[in-house]
Amino acid sequence: MAFALEVPEPWAGRGWKVKIRDRERVEPPHVTILYKTLAWRFGLRSEGFLDKVPEPGNVPIAVLDEIRANLPLLRTEWDRMYPENPV
Amino acid sequence: MNEHLILIAPRGHADRALSRVRARRVRTKADIKTTLERFQGNALWIAANEAALHLLLSSLTRQAQGDQRLLVLHARRREPSHYLHAFFRHVLFADEGIYLLPFDEMIEAIDSPDRADLFVGASFAGETDSVILYRGDLEPLVVPLTWFRKRPDGPPDPSRLAVADFGQTIRLGKYEAAADAILYDFDSDYRRRAKKRAIETDRSFGGALRRVRLQKGLRRGDFPGVTAKEIARIERGEVKRPHAHTVAAVAERLGVSPEEIADF
Repeated sequence: MAFALEVPEPWAGRGWKVKIRDRERVEPPHVTILYKTLAWRFGLRSEGFLDKVPEPGNVPIAVLDEIRANLPLLRTEWDRMYPENPV
Repeated sequence: MNEHLILIAPRGHADRALSRVRARRVRTKADIKTTLERFQGNALWIAANEAALHLLLSSLTRQAQGDQRLLVLHARRREPSHYLHAFFRHVLFADEGIYLLPFDEMIEAIDSPDRADLFVGASFAGETDSVILYRGDLEPLVVPLTWFRKRPDGPPDPSRLAVADFGQTIRLGKYEAAADAILYDFDSDYRRRAKKRAIETDRSFGGALRRVRLQKGLRRGDFPGVTAKEIARIERGEVKRPHAHTVAAVAERLGVSPEEIADF
């Protein structure tokens, strides 16, 4: 079962999601920020965006703050789901 | 490059949800015939309702030019699909066991410039234990069920197949797979584009080997004829140019060609 971080309002209501799905690109460990047809990978080791596109600056600060505040939980979830490639 | 979008929008049957889609609109038989005769490029046709499908069927008199594809939304299929397949390279209906994205998400996905990197439909082929996924340009992609590796919370359930998150997630019951991960494994062009987008990637052969090994769920000791220690040395960059027979043995176990390893 995919892990979904609870995103604060109003961003959740607008469709922003943060997930670790059961089958992701395994390396490097990351969470995926989803908004409609766009997706950003945020590294759990580097604590930064993994890709230049889409533009990282378009992710709401509140969503990023929620990810950073929950890094220990997200790392635990990643390690549980991907024991072959832990954070 | 994306194909053109052509929306079949018969007069009096406008669908407000489709008003924002950036597409060429054809409204009459004459429009459709002219477009089929004169339009030489690649195109994705959309029939959003029964009236649109009916108008299209009554207008098809000659083979289309170029690479034409057809997506039928919200319409019950009454005509034999082989008729439409004679005119269009790919035809996707929301029936015959194919599960499409929810309508509002479908509109967003089709309107996206990156629609070929999103999935708009899925079906399960039980006889081959495969999932057939349809990209936003309707190109099918066959993924063996074994690719969806079992996780601690349970196995994927193909009887509860769905496409979600605007085409970015494939659901098999509670199990979710990222479209990104699927395309990264099965489409070398997508993989190259994804690598270009990456901010910081270890572009060495060892880095690529580590990524593809992990992606395939293999351990360093899973390569017959090559020791785990040797794999580790290659991945760490201590062996800059591994011997050709080592690379060939590693590639065979990974299920890719030796040249493909560097793509990951």
